[in-house]
Amino acid sequence: MAMIPKGLEKQLNTLDFALSSLWRRKLKNLGIMMVFSLVIFLLGSFQMLTGALTSSADAVLENTPEITIQKMSAGRQEAIPQTYIKKLNSIYGIRAIIPRVWGYYFDESTLANFTVLALDHNAMPNGSKLNLTLSDGHFPKKTETGTAVLGGSVQDILELGDRRVFSLFRPDLSLKSFQVVGIFSKQTDLLTNDLIVMNVDDARDLFAIPTSHVTDLCVYVANPTEIETIAKKIAGLLPDTRVLTKSQIQKTYQVVFSWRSGFASICLLTALVAFAILAWDKASGLSPEEKREIGILKILGWETGDILAVRFWESTLVSALAFIIGCTAAYIHVAFFDASLLKPVMVGWSVIHPPFKLLPTVTLADLLLIFTFSVLPYLGATVIPAWRCSTVPPDSAIR
Amino acid sequence: MLIELKDTTKIYNQGKPNEVTALSDVSLRIEEQTMICLQGASGSGKSTLLAIMGCVFPPTSGSAAIAGKQLSRMPDRFLTIHRRETIGFIFQQFNLLPRLSVLDNITLPLLPLGISPPERKARARKLMEHLSISHRESFPAGQISGGEMQRVAIARALINNQPIILADEPTAHLDSRLSMEFMQIMADLKKEGKTIIIASHDTLVSEHPAIDKIINIKDGRIHVP
Repeated sequence: MAMIPKGLEKQLNTLDFALSSLWRRKLKNLGIMMVFSLVIFLLGSFQMLTGALTSSADAVLENTPEITIQKMSAGRQEAIPQTYIKKLNSIYGIRAIIPRVWGYYFDESTLANFTVLALDHNAMPNGSKLNLTLSDGHFPKKTETGTAVLGGSVQDILELGDRRVFSLFRPDLSLKSFQVVGIFSKQTDLLTNDLIVMNVDDARDLFAIPTSHVTDLCVYVANPTEIETIAKKIAGLLPDTRVLTKSQIQKTYQVVFSWRSGFASICLLTALVAFAILAWDKASGLSPEEKREIGILKILGWETGDILAVRFWESTLVSALAFIIGCTAAYIHVAFFDASLLKPVMVGWSVIHPPFKLLPTVTLADLLLIFTFSVLPYLGATVIPAWRCSTVPPDSAIR
Repeated sequence: MLIELKDTTKIYNQGKPNEVTALSDVSLRIEEQTMICLQGASGSGKSTLLAIMGCVFPPTSGSAAIAGKQLSRMPDRFLTIHRRETIGFIFQQFNLLPRLSVLDNITLPLLPLGISPPERKARARKLMEHLSISHRESFPAGQISGGEMQRVAIARALINNQPIILADEPTAHLDSRLSMEFMQIMADLKKEGKTIIIASHDTLVSEHPAIDKIINIKDGRIHVP
């Protein structure tokens, strides 16, 4: 049989004693582990939900135009004449200007609110990449009227099943039919779940917008460092418009998630502090029985470091198990139960949308963050008082 | 000389308002393979003397040499190492961990030495057999009789084969039959070469034929009647 080095054998002995010590106080340790798992579950759910939301937003915003121009009148948005495109031809650095029609369609029978979007995706730089956002089919071509691409829950809400045809009402209540030629993938659910993409002419027809107008103009710029300059030039040339850059739209999303995540962070940090106090109080081994045990071990020749190693192993085992249970439960909560406990806090506005499915993203950085904010404070909260306790003189056992 | 104390003094809380002199200028010499009975009233300094001889703490002044090593100015860590190599303790309350098995209690001093589980078990089983407690091996220590607890405590004190055994009021919780049995085990251990120091009021101990010397402590000093 291979010889185990003394140092390793000593650590194995310490681990063995720590396991038996945990077992001897199983009720107390089980209670601590349950509370700890709950805290990690909340922290993990929150982290995975934020990750899912931001990665979904980032994926879709990737295809957002560098500059969006909207016509404003009395502080409200209105249709923009396509003739404005000609006015912008003089600006050097613009790669493409694509007219876009978008709006909301309220379906009275299902009480759902859909977003309708129409543009010629082939005219967009890298427009072919947009097909990657589809799980199936293709986007309507410029001349392909009467066709549409649907977001995940539009298909469900309209109860299409295997059917590929649906109808929407025009403002005069006449029906307009569409053939489904594509479905968005789940990964883009955050922004495409309620989306119906169609040909520009079909969208004008559906919303009764004059053929010479669109709702906004999408501007693509050749050099990304020129975006702000070009946006200023556009705003100067078209004073009755609102000029939005991609970074401004991204910031809007970040702000929406940031204040919510900040609020949730404060709640969770409060829970963590409360747990640290509980851990300090309950897991620090300061009960008379544990103090006596430490005194006995010290007089039997255990060094302070040996006793500390036992407490360290105990805390590591409890926190590692709580970490695994908490993170697994958080993943199940976000992936299979749609983060139902935290979603109302983080995605409050989703009540006006059809529901969307979250795909949790778990990165090593997320796990390290959860570990840093949960396991490390727990180790500190248990090992430091244990160290203070283990420095008591051993004669307490013989008095 | 296994134990040699010279002008040993121990002052607790030195320089503070609650300063107490527990031992004052105690000098004694204990040779190998002897059995000593330490007597004295409660608060006489008996436990402090036992603690110094047990390498629990060094004296405040004077010298204390245990198994060839001076305790004065010895750092706490080296005191601990010297204690586990030299001293086996038997306590009045037995000081077993009640929820740990008899076997695990006996092997406790071996865990920090990095001794493998098979060797630990082998050593403990040999002692359990010698002390007739093998049938209690897997019992929780809190669920065995007082006499058996005493034997477990003896086995634990012997597990690392230390040359000195210190026993503090070992028969206080035993009836006379068990007390006699305990003294017989100690007498056998003395024959095997151990040096045994027993702090006790019990006449069954002080009058036992294996006792070589009785030391009386009074007000922190060795009292010669």
